[in-house]
Amino acid sequence: MKCDDIRILLSALVDNELDGEQKKAVSDHLVGCDGCREEYAKMRNLKEVTDDMKYFDLPDRLMAGYWNGIYNRIERSAGWIFLSIGAILLLAFGAWELLNQFFLDSRPPLILKLGVGVLLIGVIILTVSVLRERLFARAHDRYEEIEI
Amino acid sequence: MNGYPLRIPAIKAIWTGSRVTMQNSIAAAERSDNDLAKDAAGGRVSAFRVLVERYQKRAYLYARSMVHNSDDAYDLSQEAFVRVYRHLKKFDPAYPFRVWLFHILSNLCKNHLRQRKTRDAVVIGAGEQEIEAVSPTDNPDIVFHKSETQAQVWEAIGQLPDKFREIIILSHFQDMPYDQIAKVLDIPRGSVMSRLYYARLKLREILEKKGVSL
Repeated sequence: MKCDDIRILLSALVDNELDGEQKKAVSDHLVGCDGCREEYAKMRNLKEVTDDMKYFDLPDRLMAGYWNGIYNRIERSAGWIFLSIGAILLLAFGAWELLNQFFLDSRPPLILKLGVGVLLIGVIILTVSVLRERLFARAHDRYEEIEI
Repeated sequence: MNGYPLRIPAIKAIWTGSRVTMQNSIAAAERSDNDLAKDAAGGRVSAFRVLVERYQKRAYLYARSMVHNSDDAYDLSQEAFVRVYRHLKKFDPAYPFRVWLFHILSNLCKNHLRQRKTRDAVVIGAGEQEIEAVSPTDNPDIVFHKSETQAQVWEAIGQLPDKFREIIILSHFQDMPYDQIAKVLDIPRGSVMSRLYYARLKLREILEKKGVSL
């Protein structure tokens, strides 16, 4: 093996990540190569320095609200699903009833039907606009593309 | 607000009283990650809470090492747990739970860094006040170092390109074996070996420029 190949293995050797065959190949090479022996010593030194460096044990107060933050996000997403399903069912029922009991009924005056109809069109346009904005925001969610 | 379960079996647990819930918590704390993940996938939020408490500090510290900002690290690590919860049914018990968690967290951090770079480039390109690059030494308080050399090594790690920094952090500070790093980063084991080698070379190069020889 060439020195370049061996040097990649040297890095793995200091992490004790080589199998028996690889270890033997590296050992055999090191016997006759001063450059790789020097490289190995440097890798080991770096490893020794970093092995002594550990993260501080963070104070518990830093993580005090951590779980609640996660729980709130989970709970809210579940809440939105139920809210959406409920709203769709109610709106569908309301639309059906409104059509049968109001618009198809001959008793209410035409001007009242017209007023309610125009009002509903306004509500629908606003709802679609808000939904489109929400969906657009979702399509550009900064975390949306994250692979699971 | 203290993590009361969302689903019906766990709601029953509330009615049975706090003593039973406390016993369950103690028992849960002694269970393996994979068993807890399985329980959580079945609807036990209390099991998921134990998992969160087990890995929250490590997740936060990893994110902070990557993004150099405490608030972003807090947010990203919490988001990783939320993603895990939502996709618990996809959890593959053949690999440790923390590998999956860090896979998601690593992707979130990379995405965040990519967006920050794009945002910064747009602002600078628009001729507005130039944003000072995030200093890699914004992190001095999260790693314990006994000597000046170690302080400089940590500073040098912060100056590494993102893909080198993440592999150094996973290997040296999260103590992950190569097989697990390969799963976290979604690269072959051989690539872990070579990337870690080149990351260490780059780290030494930065240290040599600082006058630190190892």
